[in-house]
Amino acid sequence: MNNYSVLGKSEIKVDAVEKVLGTAKFAADYTMPNMLWGGVFRSTVPHAYIKKLNLEKARALPGVACVLDHTAIPGGNRFGIIIKDEPCLVDDKVRRYGDAIAVVAAETKELVHEALELIEVEYEELEPIFTVERAMEEDAPKIHGDSNVHAKKFLNFGDVDAAWDKCDIIIENTYSTHRLSHMFIEPDAGISYYDDQGLLTVIASTQNPHYDRGEVAVMLGIPANQVRVKQAATGGGFGGKLDIGVQLHCALLTYYTKRPVKIVRDRRESTMVSAKRHPITMHAKTGATKDGKLVAVDVDMVSDSGAYASYGPAVIGRAPVHIAGPYECPNVRCSAVFYYTNSPMAGAFRGFGVPQAAVCHEGQMNALARALNMDPIEIRLKNAHKVGTVIPTGQKLTESVGFADTLKMAAAKAAEVM
Amino acid sequence: MKKRGRGVGCMWYGVGNTGLPNPAAAFVEVLGDTSVNLMVGCADIGQGSSTVMAQIAAETLGLSYENIHVTWADTAVTPEGGATSASRQTFISGNAVKNACLDAMGELKRTAAEKLEVPEEDLIFRDRMIYSAKDESKKMTYPELMGAMKYYGRLAVGAGYYNPKTTYLNPADMSGVPYEVYSYATTICEVDVDTETGEVDVLKVVSAHDVGTPINETMVEGQIEGGVAMGEGFVLFENIEVDGKTGAIKNPIFSKYIIPSNMDVPEIYPVVVSSEGDAGPFGAKGVGEPALIPMIPAVTAAVEDAIGCRFTHLPIFPKDIVAAVKAKEAEEAAK
Repeated sequence: MNNYSVLGKSEIKVDAVEKVLGTAKFAADYTMPNMLWGGVFRSTVPHAYIKKLNLEKARALPGVACVLDHTAIPGGNRFGIIIKDEPCLVDDKVRRYGDAIAVVAAETKELVHEALELIEVEYEELEPIFTVERAMEEDAPKIHGDSNVHAKKFLNFGDVDAAWDKCDIIIENTYSTHRLSHMFIEPDAGISYYDDQGLLTVIASTQNPHYDRGEVAVMLGIPANQVRVKQAATGGGFGGKLDIGVQLHCALLTYYTKRPVKIVRDRRESTMVSAKRHPITMHAKTGATKDGKLVAVDVDMVSDSGAYASYGPAVIGRAPVHIAGPYECPNVRCSAVFYYTNSPMAGAFRGFGVPQAAVCHEGQMNALARALNMDPIEIRLKNAHKVGTVIPTGQKLTESVGFADTLKMAAAKAAEVM
Repeated sequence: MKKRGRGVGCMWYGVGNTGLPNPAAAFVEVLGDTSVNLMVGCADIGQGSSTVMAQIAAETLGLSYENIHVTWADTAVTPEGGATSASRQTFISGNAVKNACLDAMGELKRTAAEKLEVPEEDLIFRDRMIYSAKDESKKMTYPELMGAMKYYGRLAVGAGYYNPKTTYLNPADMSGVPYEVYSYATTICEVDVDTETGEVDVLKVVSAHDVGTPINETMVEGQIEGGVAMGEGFVLFENIEVDGKTGAIKNPIFSKYIIPSNMDVPEIYPVVVSSEGDAGPFGAKGVGEPALIPMIPAVTAAVEDAIGCRFTHLPIFPKDIVAAVKAKEAEEAAK
């Protein structure tokens, strides 16, 4: 073992005392003089053009400071970490239940709710798409542009077609995983204001303040150094606070009112609007020799990625690379297609497609072990990555490959405690 | 009838973004009284990244953990940190902190070398002391060093960043170097399954994680324990239901979307595994997402082992177990 002076020691967390005493300030705990509350008017249909939007009654309510739709946005109205396809406020059509259509700032939280109730909208509804089967049909309405294919990936290593002849056993299964919610304990919240130096400042519950800064600057059409985003103490994220949350809407309302604006989502709104885990269907064909050496892995995967790209491109990039698991395999192929639909937006969630891939590769590995009457640890040790392994992208692993040790140490601990 | 089963699940996880640049940066200043201001972009969402950064800074500078004050995730003060995602911050922001500290140590080393009359490369900074590796009698304390810095009018400031050594992947076949390092894990799970009610009692879980070098062992164990609980919920409790007409989520609240409670969480035995490597700061790799992943196939396999039925579609709710048991019994009766 290395001889470190500070590393490896279980030092007390830098923010432990504030957390234990309950004095840590989460975004919803901030309050400022002259502060307004903000809220968002959201769609209750999944796919529609907006024929009419009447904000006047809400604007006329005493105590309402401003009510804005997309026409108020001074800069860009498309955001997203990888593909800019989501509006800050809907300008062409609604693509999911819960799309933001208008924002309100008022003197109290109650007035915000009252004002939201006074907003009137008329939709021209379009056929909604909730399955990949429908999304891929030619006559299906298009969510964005002229195709519902959100992203495609193809991984190809070795020669899978030629490999099946070398297999003593081939196992085929279809796996599917479901849509999940992060359920971070603290719902999204934020407060925005102009600071002493005139910087548009947003304090928010976030996993990516520098990204947030860029999006706020583009939306307002101002240089990035005129925006300051500060992360408040954050009550978990698990990927669900990687997309921008209340930051854009707070900032837009502060831009117009010049006053501090706070938005706190309740649990319903938070769950409804934040990204979900990609449900993925994987058809897998795995071939091995009779002594349990992997020869070929071939997987087709499809997913309903929902209404906006969010972190979908990151998930579809990661899942194929990991699809064969931590095992040496000379022939690997994976084809992945993600579709836009009007379902809840899928995005970043702890693991980015690797949990789904693990359901597939471990399901296949366990099936293989049973069919060959091998111990599940033994078959894994036989195929385990090690220094020198070439993974399915052609990269050779040169260091820090402790997989076999995790197998051996887990088995030893299990023998002791189970 | 209660039936016991055991299952194994494994995973690997490439640390950082896939085949893309994803740098992070840090600023550091060692003050005259040996306290340190460390500024990192990295958002701490409760996982403890700021604590990790403080430990890496203290180790690199040769100071105490208590000497380091971390300011994090404030774009007017801290440089780009990239997202707290992809289990990347210990590896990438950690390397950035190390590089920033090494930058600040340029002047510290020059000054110590002059005062001790030894070559800079022989100097060791550790436990608030600076000494020669070749002759430990040639030494000075950190306050003495900072006194000398003040005398010469030198400041110990540093900036550093790190971008993992990856390549863009070939669009034709995804070949290339998607990640610089990979974390690995194995989880073994033991369950009791009630074949009449379909209820699953997760009893014990062993989860072994190759984290390279653990920076803070208790926090690594905390990640593993949280991941096990989340994995249990993934397979056995949680499912977002969507209204087929409106696309609205039907169960957005905790009373309808059930996550594991304390009563559901099993006995967890985290095993921290080390491996040798130079890529991470002092060899460290990420554990944030790996903590979750292997529990999902492990608990699935344990349920399968208990009742002798396969489950290829998640989640596995009691009704699914009862249906599988009945189908199996019918199949056996038909034989």
